[in-house]
Amino acid sequence: MLGWLKKKPPLYSAVQAFNQVGIPAANTPARECHYLALDLELTGLHAKQDHIVSIGWVPIRNQQICLSEAKHYLFRPPTSVGQSAIYHGVHDKDLKNASELADVLLQLLQDYAGYVFVAHHCRLDRAFLQIAYQRLFGKAPTMQFMDTLNIEWHRMQKQGTVMKKDALRLPQCLARHKLPVSAQHHALEDAYGCALLFLSQLKKSHPHITLGDLLVQSS
Amino acid sequence: MEVAEVTNFLKQTIPFEQLGLAQLAGLAAHFNVYYCQAGEHLEINQERLLIVRTGIFALFSDQQQLLTKLEEGDFYGYQLLLTGLADNDRLICEEDGLVYWLPSDVFHQLRYQYKNIDIFFQRLFGRRLHQYKEQQSSRFTLKVADIVQARKVAISGEQDVQQAARLMSEKRVSSLLVEDDNRLIGILTDRDLRSRVLAAGLPTTTAIKEVMTPKPYTIEKHAYLFEAVQLMSRFNVHHLPVVDQGLSFSMITATDIIRSQQDHPVYLIGEIHRQSSLDGLEHCSLQISNLAQILGKQQVPAYEAGHIITTITDAFTQRLIKLAQQELGPAPCVFSWLSFGSQARMDQSINADQDNALLLEKEPVGDVANYFSQLADFVCQGLARCGIKLCPGNIMASNPELRMSLKGWSGKFSKWIAAPTPDAILKATIFFDMRVVEGSRGLFNALQQDILARTNNSLFLMHMAQTALQRTAPLSFLRNFILEHDGKQKKGLDLKKRGISLITDIVRVYALANGVLEVNTRSRLQQLATDGVLDSKDTQNLCDAFDVLAQLRWDKHLHDLDQGHDASNLLDPAVLSGLQRHQLKDSFAVINAAQSSLKHRFCKEV
Repeated sequence: MLGWLKKKPPLYSAVQAFNQVGIPAANTPARECHYLALDLELTGLHAKQDHIVSIGWVPIRNQQICLSEAKHYLFRPPTSVGQSAIYHGVHDKDLKNASELADVLLQLLQDYAGYVFVAHHCRLDRAFLQIAYQRLFGKAPTMQFMDTLNIEWHRMQKQGTVMKKDALRLPQCLARHKLPVSAQHHALEDAYGCALLFLSQLKKSHPHITLGDLLVQSS
Repeated sequence: MEVAEVTNFLKQTIPFEQLGLAQLAGLAAHFNVYYCQAGEHLEINQERLLIVRTGIFALFSDQQQLLTKLEEGDFYGYQLLLTGLADNDRLICEEDGLVYWLPSDVFHQLRYQYKNIDIFFQRLFGRRLHQYKEQQSSRFTLKVADIVQARKVAISGEQDVQQAARLMSEKRVSSLLVEDDNRLIGILTDRDLRSRVLAAGLPTTTAIKEVMTPKPYTIEKHAYLFEAVQLMSRFNVHHLPVVDQGLSFSMITATDIIRSQQDHPVYLIGEIHRQSSLDGLEHCSLQISNLAQILGKQQVPAYEAGHIITTITDAFTQRLIKLAQQELGPAPCVFSWLSFGSQARMDQSINADQDNALLLEKEPVGDVANYFSQLADFVCQGLARCGIKLCPGNIMASNPELRMSLKGWSGKFSKWIAAPTPDAILKATIFFDMRVVEGSRGLFNALQQDILARTNNSLFLMHMAQTALQRTAPLSFLRNFILEHDGKQKKGLDLKKRGISLITDIVRVYALANGVLEVNTRSRLQQLATDGVLDSKDTQNLCDAFDVLAQLRWDKHLHDLDQGHDASNLLDPAVLSGLQRHQLKDSFAVINAAQSSLKHRFCKEV
């Protein structure tokens, strides 16, 4: 499984290769694109000083979530996970089987070039990933993110719904879409929840909506 | 890697619940998850298993007929996977939902690895065939094999007519199959004996083959009954040998056919009234299960079947009272034989037990007491012999406490009504469904009017309503099924306790509050709607829910009977079709709503 370690390409070139593939043209029908729903659990909210505790992802192709590629990795942050454990439930003792962040980030670049990344409230996830790539690879890849929270906000605005506090949190969104709500603050469960929400949002959009138009709604 | 949301769902879904967590996670890793929008047609021609996670999906046949509705935990695609043959079905999403797709190789591997899962899908497939066949069947599809028993009474053509007559008397048949080397060569009927032997003055030693009807018309065992009728009318014969694969199997007569028709209950009831002994009555009672099966095959709705079964119980009761009086002499005073519970409501099924009592014109003392004690014992024991079990709660006329004068009964009821205690009410509910089966109607009417004049008492009604609200319908029965054990059988959903009785109880409270004379639940509902007590939509809903539950119970009883089991009210939810589950869920929702309004109307602070 770790065969790629032997002929490990220079990390910098992996970023370049990823960037070269790029995402589909803006006029591609959104339903035809490939997506990777992902979620990070963090030690804090500051990308420059806090760390990634875990990452979970599931790919979406042909509007189907492929559970065979569902992944969940734990990392050993340089400092103790400390108080953040109360949110994501990952304690220091769980980190015995922790992965190397660099390995996982490389896998992401190699396997999911050409994918649009999907996250719920993607700002933090994107910021942490960018900084981690910058530190470990010397260059941050150009990752296109789709934000299910923004799409939801857009949808509700359009419907003229009065939004209550917390209405845009992932569990509330899933419940609104009558989707199963799973345990929160587990990177893979949340990535899966986000993928479900995105499938529903995609179906509820115009059948021929383009990737470009959907990205506008997501910004 | 494992998505707990998916594995947790599988853990609760038959047949995967038997797998360990690691296997479930391994299975889930092969899933593709797809979100479907209402109105969307699902792609079902690929070989893969569909598992419904959320939403509702309607399955239509190629003739646009709605076959079933798939919901959470239902499957599709196993037919194609198991047989390689595609149905021309269409699966249309009715409510947005999620489905899981499982690739065919994983499905086959799973079946190979886990025998129970393989059996589960095989059964599902078998049931599917069965269900769809059932929908097309009607009373016209009754087959010869459904009504004749494998009762072959044959004789050789070389024997003489006296031997034939002896065999006929001994076997109590009106005709014989005449065989030569197991080959059917003719038939001999009692009519042949009369016209061709006796009237012609032939000796008793005449060989059968000389007077039989040679080369008779025959009917295949698997032919439809109407084909037999057609043959008989066309050739004016009353007996047809039934053949199975070239060999004679039995005989079907015109009487068999008449008996098998819907007037069979009438026939049985007539027969009951002709019996002059307990043995004879017991013999009649053996036909009840047969009758039930025929009613089932002819798709007689459950409420009609209930009516018929109750009429038969009534007939047994009436006949037993007559027989008792033949022994004991005429009654010393006017009496009414009362029935309670399901017999009173005319919705008995084949597993009902006795609930009866005596209402007497005079106080039961001395000879009067003695007479009715003997009469009641005779009738109750007689009913028990006829398959109507003794009441475990001793609500029977053979119980001296339940043989009372009008004054006695009136006092008993007024005590319940004027000073209700929850415990007493719980025991008394059954008495408030009451009907006269034999004896004086006038005496009974006096009691009923006396009771109904008192029942519009808010404290009493509140207690009745509270009793009716003690049990609830298992609304979330799909996931967290509330299953009950009955000791003998496996667990299941009790259709009576958790369904039918709840409706009966609700309707009873309204009926008593409004002086409704009817006792049958459907009739009570109609009367309540006519009187404007309940609105017509609620009435219709309750009536429909009642019919759905009664039908499921009736079907279950017929199935039990068919399998040679005792009829049980416990239903294994796994055997329900999607459509039935849907109806059941709707029915439970109706009960729930009706209970809320009952509470609102009768359980306010007094």
